[in-house]
Amino acid sequence: MRIARALSLRLLYGLLSLLFISFVTFVAGEAAPGDAATIEAGEKASLADVQRIRHNMGLDRPWPIRYVEGLAKASHGDFGNSYTGTKEPVGDVIERTLPLTALLASLSIVLASAVGIVLGTISGVYRNKVPDRLILTLSTLGVTIPTFVLAPVLVYVFAVQLNQLPATWKYGTPGGVAYYLVLPVGILAARPAALIARLTRASMIESLQQEFIRTAIAKGVPRGRLYVRHALRNAILPVVTAIGTTFGVLLTGSFIIESAFNIPGLGQKTIEAIKSLDMPVVQACVFVTGALFILINTIVDMLLPLLDPRIRESQV
Amino acid sequence: MRRLLRDPLLVIGGLFLLALVLFAAFMPAIRTAQLRPPDDPRFDAVFSQIGKPFLAPGEKGATLGTDDIGRDVLARLAQGARVSLVVGVTVQIFALLLGMLMGVLGVFAPKWLRAPVLRLTDAMFAFPDILLAILLVATISPKALENVPIIRNWPDEWLGVVPVVVALGITAWPSIARLVRVQVASVKDREFVVAARAAGAPTGYLVVKHILPQVLPLILAVSMVEMAGTVLAESSLSFIGIGVQAPNPSWGNMINNARSGDITAHIPLLLLPCVLLSLTIFALNFVGDGLQALFDPKARQ
Repeated sequence: MRIARALSLRLLYGLLSLLFISFVTFVAGEAAPGDAATIEAGEKASLADVQRIRHNMGLDRPWPIRYVEGLAKASHGDFGNSYTGTKEPVGDVIERTLPLTALLASLSIVLASAVGIVLGTISGVYRNKVPDRLILTLSTLGVTIPTFVLAPVLVYVFAVQLNQLPATWKYGTPGGVAYYLVLPVGILAARPAALIARLTRASMIESLQQEFIRTAIAKGVPRGRLYVRHALRNAILPVVTAIGTTFGVLLTGSFIIESAFNIPGLGQKTIEAIKSLDMPVVQACVFVTGALFILINTIVDMLLPLLDPRIRESQV
Repeated sequence: MRRLLRDPLLVIGGLFLLALVLFAAFMPAIRTAQLRPPDDPRFDAVFSQIGKPFLAPGEKGATLGTDDIGRDVLARLAQGARVSLVVGVTVQIFALLLGMLMGVLGVFAPKWLRAPVLRLTDAMFAFPDILLAILLVATISPKALENVPIIRNWPDEWLGVVPVVVALGITAWPSIARLVRVQVASVKDREFVVAARAAGAPTGYLVVKHILPQVLPLILAVSMVEMAGTVLAESSLSFIGIGVQAPNPSWGNMINNARSGDITAHIPLLLLPCVLLSLTIFALNFVGDGLQALFDPKARQ
């Protein structure tokens, strides 16, 4: 029963965060200049025309009504129409651009977790020795060197000098999507991997100092098994939480990577929309990205008590 | 002081930042004086053309070469440093003030106010930072800024920085607020505070005179590290084209400019802002971490 309560609390918290994000994006839309009526009326319309169209579209009703209505529509994937170009429904824009960004982000998080946990474990085991120093230096570089510095420099090295990998996204060329994703995924994963490695190291060091490890050494557990089965297993929980929060780093990083590699995903669409003052698209993209972040973190939060009996017990 | 000098990274980082501040403050004026043609009083080394595009470093008086429209790279790098430092410092001052207010309210305010303050601070963490900044930059229109009294008469290049500062300021305060809350709560029940309270000190006096001075050094050190994040965020926004706008240079838009052109021919144009930005972020982190270790004995172990 306890666990059901803990899980539903976390779910509730996730829903509240989602409401908060939706409200902030709604307020941003209210504050931005122009609305759907001014776009619909066109540039030459008189003020009276705009007022009439606004009334017909129901945009002159009080904001709480419009907010709730907007929420109800958004839950069906209806985010209104874009202000620019063919005025296509924003839902379609999201549907078209989201899969690529999701692919990019999930590949990167998998790569970052794998590299981060392995390096962090090695670093923790060889604390203050040469491998540890190397990995620490590497992770400091990974955390501090900005993504958009890494991207053009690596493009210069791999795409221009060595001529091995493509510099930007092109449709319909042989080699498939994977070929184009090598550099973006690698660069996007660098920062999360460094963060995860640092955390795994700290957590491993703490775990290796505990008494059950001494007991395990005393009874002659082989080294490899000791580190992986005993120490790492105990150290992994904070790392799992961190993977959830670094997903945020990764999502925002994807805005930069998509821009740098010209990848037609959600991030690039958002930036395009900001430049053309296309507020419905901006709102929807920000909301969807934020929702994704909350979703991942809620899932991670809900996994924790399932993974660790101690957390399960301490839940009220 | 001696402990301060014992940390080499802190010293190196500090010296670098000092040099950067001097570079940002004086280099644009020095270059303007050096490169000004005798007959042009409106010449400005940051914005005016000084020669052919893509001069190599050292060629024809351009110490670090010229960019794609023949402007002096050295002067533009210095102006970029100016933008980064101004944005970083303003945003952190704003974040410190708001963060301290919210953090203290989170501990001392009456319950009806405390709960919403805590919820709001926590809720802000539901937004990945840059995402919120992107939303805010999209919302703040340059037209609206023209109606704000004080900044209306600012030169264009600084008017364009305002949305970035506002957006980053609003995203930066929650982490300071959270730190202040934890620190204030831990000092709140120490003997000297209890003694002052017993002597009849009102809460406001207690916070300003006794509690904040205790926690301030650590908070300032942390805000150095946070400033690295702000500088990075400003450059990121400028890199993707929604931060500092041309013709005003920022390291972010300089990198983007160099990258979009033919990068093989003009690799210094790409590398110089990259190196300067990375070094600045390193330096801010080193100094912030070093000071934090000095001020927080517990973290030192």
